[in-house]
Amino acid sequence: MSKLKPEDLERIAGPSAGGITKITVHMGTCGIAAGAEKIKDLLLAHISEKEPADVVLSTSGCAGLCSREPMMTVERRGEAPVRYVDLTGDKIRKIFDTHVLGGNVVEECVLPEVAEIGFFGKQQPIVLKNRGLIDPGNIDEYIARNGYRGMAKALTTMKPEDIIGEIKDSGLRGRGGAGFPTGKKWELCRKTHSDIRYIICNGDEGDPGAYMDRSIIESDPHAVVEGMVIGAKAIGASHGYVYLRSEYPLALRQLEQATEDAREYGLLGDDILGTGFNFDISIHRGAGAFVCGEETSLIASLEGRPPEPKIRPPFPVESGVWGKPTAINNVETWASVPQIILNGAAWYSDIGTETSKGTKVFSVVGNVKNTGLVEVPMGITLREIVFDIGGGIQNDKAFKAVQTGGPSGGCIPESLLDLPIDYEKLSEVGSIMGSGGMIVMDENTCMVDVARYFLDFLRGESCGKCSSCREGTEVMYEILTAICEGRGKPEDIDLLIEIAGAVKAASLCGLGGTAPNPVLSTIRYFRDEYEAHISAGRCPAGVCKSLINYRIDEEKCKACMLCVTTCSVSAIRGEAKQPQRIDPEVCMKCGACSEVCKFDAVIVE
Amino acid sequence: MNDTKTVGSVLVIGGGIGGMQSALDLADSGFKVYLLDSAPAIGGTMASLDKTFPTNDCAMCVMSPKLVECGRHLNIEIITWADVESVRGEPGHFSVKLVHHPRYIDVAKCTGCGLCVANCPVRNIPHFDRDAGLPELKEEDSKRITGILGRRKGQRGPLVSVLQDINDEYHYLPEDLLRHVAHHLEIPLSEVFSLATFYNAFSLTPRGKYTIQVCLGTACHVKGAPRILDALERELGIRAGQTTGDRLFSLEAVRCLGCCGLAPVVTVGGDVFGEVTQAGIPAILAEYRKAVEVENVEIKA
Repeated sequence: MSKLKPEDLERIAGPSAGGITKITVHMGTCGIAAGAEKIKDLLLAHISEKEPADVVLSTSGCAGLCSREPMMTVERRGEAPVRYVDLTGDKIRKIFDTHVLGGNVVEECVLPEVAEIGFFGKQQPIVLKNRGLIDPGNIDEYIARNGYRGMAKALTTMKPEDIIGEIKDSGLRGRGGAGFPTGKKWELCRKTHSDIRYIICNGDEGDPGAYMDRSIIESDPHAVVEGMVIGAKAIGASHGYVYLRSEYPLALRQLEQATEDAREYGLLGDDILGTGFNFDISIHRGAGAFVCGEETSLIASLEGRPPEPKIRPPFPVESGVWGKPTAINNVETWASVPQIILNGAAWYSDIGTETSKGTKVFSVVGNVKNTGLVEVPMGITLREIVFDIGGGIQNDKAFKAVQTGGPSGGCIPESLLDLPIDYEKLSEVGSIMGSGGMIVMDENTCMVDVARYFLDFLRGESCGKCSSCREGTEVMYEILTAICEGRGKPEDIDLLIEIAGAVKAASLCGLGGTAPNPVLSTIRYFRDEYEAHISAGRCPAGVCKSLINYRIDEEKCKACMLCVTTCSVSAIRGEAKQPQRIDPEVCMKCGACSEVCKFDAVIVE
Repeated sequence: MNDTKTVGSVLVIGGGIGGMQSALDLADSGFKVYLLDSAPAIGGTMASLDKTFPTNDCAMCVMSPKLVECGRHLNIEIITWADVESVRGEPGHFSVKLVHHPRYIDVAKCTGCGLCVANCPVRNIPHFDRDAGLPELKEEDSKRITGILGRRKGQRGPLVSVLQDINDEYHYLPEDLLRHVAHHLEIPLSEVFSLATFYNAFSLTPRGKYTIQVCLGTACHVKGAPRILDALERELGIRAGQTTGDRLFSLEAVRCLGCCGLAPVVTVGGDVFGEVTQAGIPAILAEYRKAVEVENVEIKA
């Protein structure tokens, strides 16, 4: 391949432009888990059997609607693309014969219009604009969809100050959690006097429940590369690092491929696009530590030192990797940059609220019908996300709370569902934006147990440098465990609030500073649940093992005996063809019987 | 003579935990105390301990209040980075000559940020025979470790990458290899171990053929992942973090695999399974047990 010049970008077009039938199987990590690999093999077998002319099989990253995986899109010449969901072998045969070869859409396998409009209709894809549409391993397809055009504009027509000005005007704020204005960060980094500067892409997506960074890299890795080149030009950096979680092997492969291809095209390396600008990226794999998402820890880890945070100032923009000025941004932030440069700051800042501009990707997961990644304008309400896009609560149970911001965030109750989402509004109600995880919880979720879960996470991930965080999270966890096991004391709630204050005030980095949020927000909105555990010895949601019992409803039991064969301790007994009974002495409350029962006859009390 | 009368001042030599306590007791009884230490700061050895016998108290938690108290006590004057040169006189009337070493740092301006320590290029100077005590390696291991170290040659801050490479090849970090890594990279062994034990991806004990990861992310948690983990522990007869006797499976609880849309998620040997139920677990494990049996039969044949 020869190195490209800016004018060459216009000439590269994707393979679909030739006018053929294109089948795209969506193969993100989630799609593969749901069986996309088999779907692809089946399609290949069909194609080699029938040898149709003009059919192209392609793969892409995640299409966004994880709950309906495996998915594929069929796009016939000149027709609108059709999304097929919940695929199986039989469906594939039918779709292949009737639609791909015959041209008639197989309506029963298509994503229903209600879900299509609900889930995709309210979204405004900017960062995710290429998801499910391009093959992430094919750089030409990215370029064909306006790829690297923003970079070409920045390198050929803009001065570094112009780029920074544009990003500042756009109002883009860090998508990793804290929401620091990106343009301001770049400016500070550029102004620090130094011979060398670095940029880092923080892909250590540690928040449980958030996976947009994985998905962006898996389905559109070039967007991140392009964003980083633009940032490097603005800041004056010659080298960039991508720090990627070890848990994301597919993302690592895609990104390695992307940087290699970009290098071959002359879009990375020396003399990019013939403009004389030099910049390259190296990829650094994490090794599984939540605290590495904190910028000073990440830098320590990158340098091969124990990843403990250090005192700021000096901030990384003054002294980062190897003591040089370093601008560190999250994957989603970098991926937003090319679009802003290409379409202009005004276009971007038109979207969103007063203080938070643009769109944000959220992972809507938990007890909702449509789980997946959604990109929505800032200022949308939680209700719209949970009920319109998410399609409401699974099995039509009652909504209880939505947890945002990962372990540093909080739980937001039903009364605040009409809250427009932006950085400030979320922190007002005791949560944070975080990286955009949104875990929806139904009535069967115990909020004390949720708080305990997060504290268990945090006590394990605390690096141990500050005693307030190391010991504080441990003590809070012990108290919460006692409450969950029915050993709670009435004064425990106030004690938790007091410890939370100390941990918040006395910890160095963001992990400790926000560690008490899950406890404080659940106490603030769900104090009655804490009190039920402590004074009544009852878990209202039926989760805390020590406080519940399983019982079989004799009216509903049809004596199918499924639970009897499932129970691993033989606690379920009874006469044949009669309603069964659970022996509470033997039962270890694993809940397997209630999972398998088709008649909802197992009751939790 | 009246013994209880407090006169003069006391010099406490050595500012470890014993010296600090003595200084505090004396100062509280009204003596003017000079607390001397030859190190740049008081505190001594206890600061480098984790727990103390027999109460298992955290060492820093015991001593840090005393550090603060010594620093603030009006009757205590701390003299650090100094040695005793001579002592003359007799009980009740000593005269001591001290040598104060130069600090080269303006104490009034230093905030203790630690940046200069991190940036000083002179460090880790070994004071012992560097090759002594290195364990013998098998020829194959020796070849592999030389290969790994060779690949990372010239990389700045290579330690984590080297550990990852070893982990990729061995599925755990053998102690003998870590000793060689420390030796070749000229990094203290303690630092190598501090990284090896910090990250979740590393294990110091051998792992099974297939690693089972149970995702305990938030979405998986609300959808019953703890019950899945319990069920796997029962099915395999091991706890999370352990390996089965036949070295087939290792069970691990991980933070989040980023497949939240398909919660609860379990991976076996890198294959991802979504929407797992307790009842479905035996079928998943059976597939891998069968695969191994087939392999064994093939080898025998």
